[in-house]
Amino acid sequence: MSKSILIDTTICTGCRGCQVACKQWHNLPAEKTTNVGSFQNPQDLSFDTYKLVRMNEEIINGKLEWLFFADQCRHCIDAPCLETAFDENAIYKDSATGAVQYTKTTKKLDADEIIGSCPYNIPRKAVDGTLAKCDMCNDRIHNGLKPACVTACPTGAMQFGDRDEILALAGQRLEKAKKKFPKAMLLNPDEVNVIYLVGFDPELYTDYAVASNDRGGLSRSVALRKMMGPFAKMMRV
Amino acid sequence: MTNHWIDIKNSDCILIMGSNAAENHPISFKYVTQAMEKGAKLINVDPRFTRTSSKADIYTALRSGTDIAFLGGMIKYILENNLYNHEYTAAYTNAPFIVGEAYGFKDGLFAGYTKNEEGPSAGSYDKSKWAFEMDANGVPKLDRTLKNKKTVFQLMKEHYSRYDLDTVSKVTGTPKEDLIEVYKTYAATGKTGKAGTIMYAMGWTQHTVGTQNIRTMAMIQLMLGNMGVAGGGVNALRGESNVQGSTDHCLLWHIWPGYLKTPRASNNSLEAYNKKWTPKSQDPLSANWWQNYPKYSVSLLKSFFGKTATKDNQFGYNWLPKVDDGSVYSWFDIFDSMYKGDVKGFFAWGQNPACSGSNASKVRKSMEELDWMVNVNIFDNETGSFWKGPGTDASKIKTEVFMLPAAVSVEKEGSITNSGRWMQWRYQGPKPLGNSRPDGDIIMELGQRIKEAYKKGGGVFKDPIVNLKWDYETNGAYDPHKAAKEINGYFTKDVTVKGKLCKKGTLVPSFAWLQTDGSTSSGNWLYCNSYTEKGNMSARRSQQDAPNNIGLYPEFAWCWPVNRRIIYNRASVDPKGRPWDKKDWVIKFAGEEKDGKYVSKKWIGDVPDGGWYPLENPDGSKRKDSKHPFIMRKHGFGQIFGPGRADGPFPEHYEPLECPVEKNSFSSQMVNPTAVVYNTKADAHATCDPRFPFVGTTYRVSEHWQTGLMTRPQPWLMELQPNMFVEMSEELAKLRGIKNGERVNVTSARSSVECTAIVTKRFKPFKIGYATVHQVGVPWHYGWRWPATGTEESANLLTPSAGDPNTRIPETKAFMVNVTKL
Amino acid sequence: MKLDRRDFIKISGATAAGIAVSGLGFDLKQVKSHAGMLKTRYAKESTTICCYCAVGCGAIVHTSKRGDGRVMNIEGDPDHVINQGSLCSKGSSIKQLVENENRLTEPMYRAPYSDKWQTVSWDWALNNIADRVKKTRDESFEKTNAKGQTVNRTTKIASVGSAALDNEECWIYQSLMRSLGLVYIEHQARI
Repeated sequence: MSKSILIDTTICTGCRGCQVACKQWHNLPAEKTTNVGSFQNPQDLSFDTYKLVRMNEEIINGKLEWLFFADQCRHCIDAPCLETAFDENAIYKDSATGAVQYTKTTKKLDADEIIGSCPYNIPRKAVDGTLAKCDMCNDRIHNGLKPACVTACPTGAMQFGDRDEILALAGQRLEKAKKKFPKAMLLNPDEVNVIYLVGFDPELYTDYAVASNDRGGLSRSVALRKMMGPFAKMMRV
Repeated sequence: MTNHWIDIKNSDCILIMGSNAAENHPISFKYVTQAMEKGAKLINVDPRFTRTSSKADIYTALRSGTDIAFLGGMIKYILENNLYNHEYTAAYTNAPFIVGEAYGFKDGLFAGYTKNEEGPSAGSYDKSKWAFEMDANGVPKLDRTLKNKKTVFQLMKEHYSRYDLDTVSKVTGTPKEDLIEVYKTYAATGKTGKAGTIMYAMGWTQHTVGTQNIRTMAMIQLMLGNMGVAGGGVNALRGESNVQGSTDHCLLWHIWPGYLKTPRASNNSLEAYNKKWTPKSQDPLSANWWQNYPKYSVSLLKSFFGKTATKDNQFGYNWLPKVDDGSVYSWFDIFDSMYKGDVKGFFAWGQNPACSGSNASKVRKSMEELDWMVNVNIFDNETGSFWKGPGTDASKIKTEVFMLPAAVSVEKEGSITNSGRWMQWRYQGPKPLGNSRPDGDIIMELGQRIKEAYKKGGGVFKDPIVNLKWDYETNGAYDPHKAAKEINGYFTKDVTVKGKLCKKGTLVPSFAWLQTDGSTSSGNWLYCNSYTEKGNMSARRSQQDAPNNIGLYPEFAWCWPVNRRIIYNRASVDPKGRPWDKKDWVIKFAGEEKDGKYVSKKWIGDVPDGGWYPLENPDGSKRKDSKHPFIMRKHGFGQIFGPGRADGPFPEHYEPLECPVEKNSFSSQMVNPTAVVYNTKADAHATCDPRFPFVGTTYRVSEHWQTGLMTRPQPWLMELQPNMFVEMSEELAKLRGIKNGERVNVTSARSSVECTAIVTKRFKPFKIGYATVHQVGVPWHYGWRWPATGTEESANLLTPSAGDPNTRIPETKAFMVNVTKL
Repeated sequence: MKLDRRDFIKISGATAAGIAVSGLGFDLKQVKSHAGMLKTRYAKESTTICCYCAVGCGAIVHTSKRGDGRVMNIEGDPDHVINQGSLCSKGSSIKQLVENENRLTEPMYRAPYSDKWQTVSWDWALNNIADRVKKTRDESFEKTNAKGQTVNRTTKIASVGSAALDNEECWIYQSLMRSLGLVYIEHQARI
């Protein structure tokens, strides 16, 4: 049973405990940032920032809403990045947890192709082309701990568990959220292991909140590999 | 907090006003969210839409400095719509008290006012004019029907009849429909069994009417029956990890540990001191807890001076300093005196006044007058390095500075007390970095050297120094356990108390055992029970909840007083001892009953506020062996009428010292007539001045803390909030031609600070009468030392040196500024 | 045996790791490398309470038992009844507060009219501070006030701080300051 995370944005306060807890556990350096007229910083995910609370102020139904979206890798069930890479030494899925893992070998991949394959625009490259993104704190999970971000979350906006439990919880949370937010929805719950619950139109949170149509398209070679299934591994098409 | 963090989950309606809990106390939202999941309403009132507002059911804005108008309107609404809790108000508050004939209120002034031309206090009241009428036995006269025109209840009704929706809306800038929605929603907690809570912080205290802001809400909480109950209370969200403990231990001029009074010069003997500060009640039903004052003061003296404190030398009472009657020695007064060259030596220990003091330019300038300064901190800071700050010339500054490196909290052992009064023990992880040392070691070592200097070299009045008990060491190092035990207190000789022999040198079980004869010591009576023969109570870790299952966790850590998690909890039950709220009850009487009378004493749940019988038997007959629930008040009642305050027994709206309006809509008293205003060259103020047209306020963000000294040196936090900023509305930005993200100047009558403009929908201009009033906000987390660019400065350079008459806390939440493009 | 939450996590963690190693396909090598040791496995564990706001959240400090003996990790304590493991951005960054290259690690002294700090020894610093305290106090000590009342104080020395001290430190600090005759004693609660 793979693991999943539910991120219920309707009860997220944007405290960013998760964002720092991620850096803390992974020993990631801080980025040099500037205030550009918003509380959000850094402005985007990066090789050193796997988790980013995106903040948007929107007038919705005549009311001001401050939307927080703790963006991170969705750990797709069928991960296009993994398919695109086609190199288990660079990108692989931990079958015990479902976490999609990037290794140093990603340096050998075409970084832009991998980034372009992600429907959620998540992976980021270092100057040398090595790729990085959220690893679901796979080391913690294997040792019975929750991911650092989930542990830190004060309100319960982030929940971690077995996929079936999280799916059930997501359904319950959605029903609850709909009472306050009639347009509440889960984002691609069948396709990802990191499931977002949003109260409003997902595009208001970030451009890639839901799987984007113009991204993640499989190249011919990837599609072919998929079609051929396990044999592709041997054939290295 | 009268209640505590976890208890917020028991609330039916949470009002967050004067604080921004989601950002500044983020983990509190664990419990706000839990309450909301169970159906509680969250109301947020703030000049600016914050991360707290983003989660609120009801959000509305008010102009900074108009909280009393806003809440005064709520009092009127509650009274006129008969939404107060009649039974509670009549039984437990002083609403039925009869106020004496001398009381009066006219055009913004209460009876007994005298103006003070010399300052810094603008004026004062003869509070005897506000006294209650007493019966022949010296017990307050009451009318439980609340109908008598001289009752507190009727006077309150009359006072707030002026706070009509039109006037309140005109003053606060809050739309009338929003006022009604907030009033209606919150007043619904007046229903028996419902609980409303208030989460406030510096947004209420930092005003010239700070104390009265809180009193207004306390009155509402009393009227609605929200005090003492689960999910209720008056909850100050304290901002520093141990600001509760450091207040309890009274690192403050006016109080001694445990909220005892600093002696006045006129208290010329221990006896005179105890007599002066021990209140007397003639009512047998009043616990009047402070009647125990002499036990606490004598035990404290025994802790100060140990064996050398004897009955013959008044336990060393005269070794300790006295303050002049009527004089004030507060923060403001320290720096005013320092500015004038009257202070020579200065300790800034774990504090950064160069950025945290209001009117920080004056604070920084004052330091140039010092001969020496000791600055103890974990980072270099704007205080210790003031001599090389912006605009200074080191070659002209005489001050010697000693900067001592302190250990970080995780490098040492000891306890801190959270906002919910929970004392919690911390352990050492790593050793102190480099040559840094725990503060405790530095204090001990410095004390040793000073004591030695006096022992060897003599000196002026050396008795208190050489006799100071100073044995908080083990193997030459500071031992926090020894200090913690001293705070709890010991039996200093074999003594029989409550029929039990207590051996000399054993720890006192609780403050009920403290004595006036020197047979006990206790460094702080409120903490007596925290470290006993059973061990260190603050280190407890049990996750077992109490039988009432409301999140008290009585054996996790320890809280004062005597581990009572919700104070005034005797008000959570009716006079017969039955909980108002049957589900989330705090305590209930479980004694035996016979023929309609209680015949044995037993309370269950939280530690009750006194274990006496309930006020009434099950058959309704009154008991003579009970006590009124508000045991810390002389008469035992919650104070809707507060005759002890400097600025009046009822809160009244006055404008901030610096404000955007030319007239106070409620009276011809513009500013609090007892406000404290300083008047050196460095204390410029400007009200209704076209040069400073916008209301300014200060606040914090989630990612930094206080002056930023413990967050600005950290790259992870600087990544999140890298620059000093000013938030403003889109309308104001347009008016000034300011683009989002560009650097601007914010200027007040005192100074100017460069900021990054955040142009946001979260600030909106206020409609104040026919005028549009703009407000801006600045965080006070920055200072020139970090980041090293020196470009990010303290918001306190802008704030005024004017304050509340009760506390002298500065008015940093409402002042006037201008914003201009660079 | 009564298990607390953290024991439970340890036990279930061991089980999870066990499962992970057995019955896996081709990617066993990588899983093993991930399922292996936590960086905190050989660390000393101590509990603390967060040093920022007054919610009083519990945290676990992992200190290296090898090498430099410094902090490796600080995260929320799941057994703490208030925060149950949660921490905000500040609480999550305490490690960087402790292990920070900007920290003061030596006593320093700035002489009158000087434009720089000089590093000094603790002995020298404390002796000199004691001297200054004694000198200023003795020169300014008031046994009586203008009215002739006994006051036994000095108003020439002031102290501010601190809510950053532990309770026990606060108590001994105020007792030292009061024994010296200070009345100008204030701290964060006033501002």
